[in-house]
Amino acid sequence: LKIPWPKNIRSKLTLWYLLVLAGLLLVYATLVFAFQYVVLTKQIVHDEIQDVETVEGLLDFNPHGTLELRQDYYSRPQSHLLIDRMMEVRDLSGDVLYRSPTLNGMPLGGENRRGEGDASFDQRIIRLQDGSYVLAISHIHSIQDRVLLIRLGYSLGPLRERMLQFMLLLLLAVPIALALAGFAGQMIAKRALRPLERMTARAEGITASNLSSRLEVRNPDDELGQMARVINHLLDRLEQAFFQLQRFTSDAAHELRTPLASVRTIGEVALEKGHGSDEYREALGSILEETGRLNETIESLLLLAKAEATQPGERQTTFVATDLVNEVLSLLEVVIEERNITVVQESDTEGKVEVLADRSLLRVAILNVLHNALKFSPNNSMLNISYSYSATTPRKLLIAFRDQGPGIPPGEHQRVFERFFTSTARTTASQSGTGLGLSVAKLVIDRIGGEMWFDEQTQPGAKCTIALPIHE
Amino acid sequence: MTSIRSRILIIEDDRKMSAALVSGIEAAGYDVIAASSAEEGFFLVHSKSPDLLLLDLTLPQRNGLDILKQIRSEGLDIRILILTSHNTVEDRVEGLRTGADDYLGKPFSFPELMARIDALLRRILPPTLGAMVTIGDLAIDTKNRIASRNGQALDLTAREFDLLLYLAENHGRTVSREMLAKDIWRETSRYTPIDNVIDVQVARLRRKVDDPFAVKLLQTVRGLGFSLREPQL
Repeated sequence: LKIPWPKNIRSKLTLWYLLVLAGLLLVYATLVFAFQYVVLTKQIVHDEIQDVETVEGLLDFNPHGTLELRQDYYSRPQSHLLIDRMMEVRDLSGDVLYRSPTLNGMPLGGENRRGEGDASFDQRIIRLQDGSYVLAISHIHSIQDRVLLIRLGYSLGPLRERMLQFMLLLLLAVPIALALAGFAGQMIAKRALRPLERMTARAEGITASNLSSRLEVRNPDDELGQMARVINHLLDRLEQAFFQLQRFTSDAAHELRTPLASVRTIGEVALEKGHGSDEYREALGSILEETGRLNETIESLLLLAKAEATQPGERQTTFVATDLVNEVLSLLEVVIEERNITVVQESDTEGKVEVLADRSLLRVAILNVLHNALKFSPNNSMLNISYSYSATTPRKLLIAFRDQGPGIPPGEHQRVFERFFTSTARTTASQSGTGLGLSVAKLVIDRIGGEMWFDEQTQPGAKCTIALPIHE
Repeated sequence: MTSIRSRILIIEDDRKMSAALVSGIEAAGYDVIAASSAEEGFFLVHSKSPDLLLLDLTLPQRNGLDILKQIRSEGLDIRILILTSHNTVEDRVEGLRTGADDYLGKPFSFPELMARIDALLRRILPPTLGAMVTIGDLAIDTKNRIASRNGQALDLTAREFDLLLYLAENHGRTVSREMLAKDIWRETSRYTPIDNVIDVQVARLRRKVDDPFAVKLLQTVRGLGFSLREPQL
């Protein structure tokens, strides 16, 4: 038969509590019982020793040479224990000289033992012929020049009976105490766990439609309060992520719809009005260009999703920052030459500074930032790239890209990082790409543990700064 | 080329895609058969013994990778090119590890698909490109890396020469920006900046190769890419 182990914490707690308490109570009862038994036994022995002393004075040989206990003993106002006394007197050869009537002729302890009662009051438990037990002591005493062995004992019956009663009392008290404690334990556990039940009920009610709902924090310093706070933080992040996802999905749908609409219109117009193969050729080419745009948007969205899913510290390597920037510059070299842009690099750092990041993601970010700067740079202008250390601890590597383009209109310095953002400035509207380049760059830099911003003071032109964690 | 046309089997469940592929590849001079399910494809693999299989990975009922595994376990001599919209690096690696010869992510450019098909089948046929390539009056010395038109040497940078040679290798065919990004610039992903770089680079090459001469060889095919060929009269 298997004992069903409770499933809920409240019952488990109560059960454990009861088991521990029952164990403690049993140990306690055993100790009390043993202590009581020892104390009572000692008391009996003590009484017996006193009784032996008394009896020694009452024993006498009559003129016939028979040992007698003096009769005036009965007239004494003694306790009933004296009447219960069992006594046997032997001489050293083992002959029984006196046996108290309480023994009913049964021997008390049999043959003399060697050295019995010699030095002290030897104490032992003797089983009588009728099966009852006697706690007896022995003592050597001499009367009228005869050396006698006095054995004196009291029946253990009354003591054992009393101890049995005591044990029954203890055994009866333990279950009652346990029942009370169990009930109390159950109540305490229930009370302690009640906030948890409330939190569970509250959390069950939180769905995608009311992610803004939070758990109640009654006492922020206790364990449950801490848990509620942690869960609320989790809900904060979830809500944020969910909101971003929602906004992103609708943005993406909108952004994908635009080229799709072009494709559709171009196709419809060509079929409706076109007559020559040149017109069809033109329409198809235009449609293919739009599909290219669609594909680029999807690639960028996937890259964003990849960067978004990147955990800080993932795929990290250390590499020299200037090498990566130069690699990107050499990729864009042909554009730089074509536009006759002069790239000037200056550095306040000593030696080669190594940064710690996912190199391929950072490369995309720097490519986007540089391409963005080039896109807005007028022909024959200058592009400054400067390296310095940040004033923060731990210090970071600051890479600033400054172009001589039209700059960013006031109030748009944050918004340029928004997905699919296109500036209100007329000069930039005509040059926009997928609208994801800077968003990708910012997200990547954030994930790497860096920062990225446009300097609001810089005029004219735009200055984009990237702060990267240094490997030291 | 040998007189026997190479046979290509397409296993693709999207009817429009399949029809477009059949007509495009047939136009390039191949013998094309198509299947819309894995079972049908299997049957055709055994009954028609194609030289090359274009395999879509997301098929109804059976995964394309299963087909790939089975064909490889049967030890059939057949080139396999995977076409799929699952084109992360991991998917690519898994496809190639399972035994595919090449892998092309959807949406792909048709010129690139043709280039891949030709390349895969050329593994069977001998390569055609020699030490000297000529297109019209353009002569490219592939060994010494010198290009000239009408006997007049062209002053090209290393990248420009690579670009010209790549276009010449694909003589008569259109080369897409995807192909250039992958094969010339060695970029794994294609973002707006790369396209911009490619366009500028091609424009510069055109200034050197075409501008001083009457006959224009480097053509831009709108929506497709670029092509190096003599203009049709």
